[in-house]
Amino acid sequence: MNPIMASAPALFTIRSVDYRAISPVLIILAVALVSVFVEAFVGRSARRPVQLVLVFGAFLATFIDLITLHATRLVTAAGSVAVDGPALVMQGAIILLAALAAMLMAERMVDPSGDPFAARASSLPGSVDEAEFSARGYFQTEVWPLLLFSVAGMMLFVSANDLLLMFVALEVMSLPIYLMAGMARRRRLLSQEASLKYFLLGAFASAFFLYGMALTFGFAGSVNLGSIADAVSAKPSQSGLLLLAVAMLSIGLLFKVAAVPFHQWTPDAYQGAPTAVTALMATTVKIAAFGALMRVLYVAFGGIRWDWTPMLWIVAILTMVVGSVIAVTQSDIKRMLAYSSVAQAGFILVGVIAVSGKGLASVLFYVIAYGFATIGAFAVVSVVRDASGEATHLSKWAGLGKKSPVTGAVLSLLMLSFAGIPLTSGFIGKFAVFSAAIANGATWLVIVAVIASVVSAFFYARVIVLMFFSEPTEATASVVVPSAFTTIVIAAGATVTVVVGIAPQPLLDLVNNAGLFLR
Amino acid sequence: MNPVNYVILSAVLFSIGAIGVLVRRNAIIVFMSVELMLNAANLAFVAFARINGILSGQVIAFFVMVVAAAEVVVGLAIIVQIFRTRRSVSIDEPNLLKH
Amino acid sequence: MNGTVALSAADLQQVTPATGIFTLIALLIALPLAGAAILLLGGRRTNRWGPYLGVLTVTGSAVLAIVMLVKLMSLPTGSRSIGQNLYQWVFAGSFKVNFAFQLDQLSIVFVLLITIVGTLIHIYSLGYMAHDVDRRKFFGYLNLFVAAMLILVLAGNYLLLYVGWEGVGLASYLLIGFWQYKPAAAAAAKKAFVINRVGDVGLSLAIMVMFVTFGTVNYSDVFGSASHASQGTLTAIGLLLLLAACGKSAQFPLQSWLLDAMEGPTPVSALIHAATMVTAGVYLIVRSNAIFDRAPWAAGMVIAIGIITMFMGAIIGSAKDDIKKSLAGSTMSQIGYMITAAGLGPIGYVFAIFHLLTHGVFKAGLFLGAGSVMHGMKDNVNMRMYGALRKVMVVTFITFGACYLSIIGIPPFSGFWSKDDIIHAAFERGTLIGVAGVLVAGITGFYMTRMVAMTFFGKARWEDDAHPHESPKVMTIPLVILGVGAVVLGMALLFWGNIKTWLEPVTGLTEAPTVIPDWAIMTISLACVLVGAAIAFVMYARRSVPTTAPRGSWLTRAAREELYGNEVNNTLVVRPSYYASRVLNWFDARAIDGFVNGLGGFTGAAGTRLRRMQTGFARSYALSMVGGAVLVILALVLVRL
Repeated sequence: MNPIMASAPALFTIRSVDYRAISPVLIILAVALVSVFVEAFVGRSARRPVQLVLVFGAFLATFIDLITLHATRLVTAAGSVAVDGPALVMQGAIILLAALAAMLMAERMVDPSGDPFAARASSLPGSVDEAEFSARGYFQTEVWPLLLFSVAGMMLFVSANDLLLMFVALEVMSLPIYLMAGMARRRRLLSQEASLKYFLLGAFASAFFLYGMALTFGFAGSVNLGSIADAVSAKPSQSGLLLLAVAMLSIGLLFKVAAVPFHQWTPDAYQGAPTAVTALMATTVKIAAFGALMRVLYVAFGGIRWDWTPMLWIVAILTMVVGSVIAVTQSDIKRMLAYSSVAQAGFILVGVIAVSGKGLASVLFYVIAYGFATIGAFAVVSVVRDASGEATHLSKWAGLGKKSPVTGAVLSLLMLSFAGIPLTSGFIGKFAVFSAAIANGATWLVIVAVIASVVSAFFYARVIVLMFFSEPTEATASVVVPSAFTTIVIAAGATVTVVVGIAPQPLLDLVNNAGLFLR
Repeated sequence: MNPVNYVILSAVLFSIGAIGVLVRRNAIIVFMSVELMLNAANLAFVAFARINGILSGQVIAFFVMVVAAAEVVVGLAIIVQIFRTRRSVSIDEPNLLKH
Repeated sequence: MNGTVALSAADLQQVTPATGIFTLIALLIALPLAGAAILLLGGRRTNRWGPYLGVLTVTGSAVLAIVMLVKLMSLPTGSRSIGQNLYQWVFAGSFKVNFAFQLDQLSIVFVLLITIVGTLIHIYSLGYMAHDVDRRKFFGYLNLFVAAMLILVLAGNYLLLYVGWEGVGLASYLLIGFWQYKPAAAAAAKKAFVINRVGDVGLSLAIMVMFVTFGTVNYSDVFGSASHASQGTLTAIGLLLLLAACGKSAQFPLQSWLLDAMEGPTPVSALIHAATMVTAGVYLIVRSNAIFDRAPWAAGMVIAIGIITMFMGAIIGSAKDDIKKSLAGSTMSQIGYMITAAGLGPIGYVFAIFHLLTHGVFKAGLFLGAGSVMHGMKDNVNMRMYGALRKVMVVTFITFGACYLSIIGIPPFSGFWSKDDIIHAAFERGTLIGVAGVLVAGITGFYMTRMVAMTFFGKARWEDDAHPHESPKVMTIPLVILGVGAVVLGMALLFWGNIKTWLEPVTGLTEAPTVIPDWAIMTISLACVLVGAAIAFVMYARRSVPTTAPRGSWLTRAAREELYGNEVNNTLVVRPSYYASRVLNWFDARAIDGFVNGLGGFTGAAGTRLRRMQTGFARSYALSMVGGAVLVILALVLVRL
């Protein structure tokens, strides 16, 4: 008797799908498809306005949809999609931050040529074609469908309750970003290089994730997180296969959160990509990656937490220490922010290690607070320019605070938040994460974390010192007056940072009421 | 034949793919090595489907193929673009971003 | 000492909600905060009237504080702890923190010190900074400091205290580096920031441990349940708080930033680095008395740190020729006294605060006096270039003299009463501690007399273009007020204000049995002081002072180098972390790549030799990922073994 035949009928049972519950993802995907058709059928001059209406309309509709769904707690689509509190909170944050990143992408007053993206991504840098495209004032709108697909992938990534769906979502999220990273209008060689490195390493990491998924399937006979959890508690004997599976899956996800030693793509990709895309990578992707990491570790492998927490301890310590220490020596602000995001990933991992409801809530709080501060910081970076484009070298920031006090003050505020100074959102985030970890006995880890945060405070303060305590020189860049788009992003980043720092209660309530992962 | 052997074969293929990524300089071959890793996983899925007697492993392999195809499209686009710019597909050459 | 573990604050008095005038507690802070906001965000428009607004806001707070003191005195003893809850700040599950202030006997004396001395220093700065183009910003920062310091002392829980703690750190950083065009000032600001962050680690960890142990960080709740916590936990909290105090109060081993901080404008040195901020560590320890009372080992460490710093500061103060650095050494030393007193337990807390108040006044007076001298000497700080100034700067000389008599502890000046009390309490605890106190009093007599002698007596050693003159009224009036304070404050607090019984509900005072009679200790320490002063007077006023410093003994040279505090820091902390950073960077950049390229060569590919030392290769990143994979797998497997 062939066992495969015996189980065959069950495979084709039609499972019900709660379309209402997964409607946010469906809206984005549908609009993404429409957006592709717009590229094909709408005239060149009308494309941009149509795309902008579609993108922001989709984000608005999805956000409203998420609000109406806020109390939903269910698992649907044959157990492969979990619409639970953490997923909804993260989806909401992803939508808001993606909308802000989209505003940076839509900014047209900052670059003198009118657009942050290459007129034609296919044209050769420095070629006659490129010059002509620029001269004719061409610009491209292909980033918009790419953005929408990527956001749809992120939203699925955080609510996937099934490794297969998670893998597909991972690719749907990542592939458009690999492309967008290579589309900068200026310094295209750097941009293309960033794209290539990010892509190759990302694919490499995906392969690890996939192989881990195969091993998990071999161990549990299923890729559903709930079934895996059952198998983990039912047969702890086959430990070799299981541990290898956990390791491989973790590698794939730790790559996306940019944990050391899987972090080396981060500085290159952040520096080379267009700043608007970097902002997207540094905020939404980070949220999505932490959501997926926690869901896999908590839901599927919560039963063997004592096996993987020591591994995460090592990774978290490496991440915090290496990220903070290398950031001190950086001279490019985007690279410094990249290493800072590595260090911040380490602090967030401290919360993941708590393996508790409190830990989950604190991580949610941290990634949201960090996301808004980060997007504000990259928005500020995008408006500091000189003749060659964005002035990312820190030497060009000397005395900037004296030339443009408001910009300097906003960036200083965001830096203080990254450093975890009280009355900013970063402080509450760090406090929540660290106290969750202490409550679960990870006191030594927190001591390392606090020391690393001291080191990190140093390089954040260095930027403030540079802006306010140095005299402006000939080389000091100037702040371009942006349109409402970038202004909104900077204002939103600063406002959220201060308001959440002074009155964190609403956000704390939100993440605490999100509850736990469903399975 | 014992299906466990296929799992071992898949592990060997995965390792060959990983080593290929590390040692080859041609971006196309590096990319092919990554594809080899993905397909090693596919082989593992199918072998485990056989071992566990659950068909879904085979279905997953199809999903992975589709995703891999999408990845090829994106990857080749990026590599071709780099080639057109630099007249070379060596992945060691684009190294302006460093330190 | 354990016999005297008595009642702590929480046992003695309950916090009552604010009514009447006390609903305005937040206004105490809001006034200077608003001033800072207007001055810093208002830009050049506020240049003309900004400094006066800065003075006004602090004066307003001072008046309000005095009204509150009067009102507080009229309340019955047990109900003098007022709480005002603005709103619920953080609420996460069982963890609740209110944005709440607490005004009690301890915080009101700090509020008065901060606002009154703060007002005088603001007024003085009108004159001192008159010619500085950025003086609007200076007053903005000063206002910011006052607001943050008030948050620190008025906080009703440790988390809000931490806000103020970081706030004063930030303001101090901005003010030390105020003249950032001087490289020394920028470096000093950075140093102060970094070293203070080390202390902040202690405070933030202490707060987290408290939260995990007690489930709350409110003062009253923490102190109320302190007796239920284990000895180990309390000791840990105590030591972490001590680390925090060491950073902020420049105690050993985190003392080295304070001397460099003298690069800031002199009013800043007076307000922040002498009278108020640096005493925050003492406040923290006294406020947390319920914890230290139950953690004798931690309290012992407090005493040890206090005594070490007391000597270090006094020795450094004896050798420095820079008048401000000598005063900074003296500040370290005097805070060492306070920290020692705070470590003594219930018999010492009150005296720590008493000395803190008198010191706040006379040290501010000394610094402002030094500033006045510098003002007249073209900003020269080298005392070897002074001499015979008593005739040209009469007001400065007299007020400086009053503060001088106070700090060395001549009766009936303020410092006598407070220092004598500490030494007396120290003898109750242990003879050695008491002897240390007496010896340092002697050294204090030496270095302060040396300072006065070199500055005001002897022959004029002025530089040719120096034309010393008395400072303007706006500077001398604050000097006079502080000088009067230095004379009368000690007696006023002791006999009229009755500071000991005033603070008793907060600190739990217990009179210990007397071992050695009061008059004996007084006589011994006074004799010590007089001997020290006499030696200094002979050496520096009667003999001529060379304008270039002689080589001196090994101790003098060590003291000039600040007892090698910087070198120790460099060797133990700075250099290792610098090299760690270099090594990590090198590893990232070279080692992994070198290995990868070697591997590439191994497989037959050639021509990468030139790139061997370069970085940015995607493949080296992939290799580090594989290395990470091995690490992750090993970590998982080894746990099982």
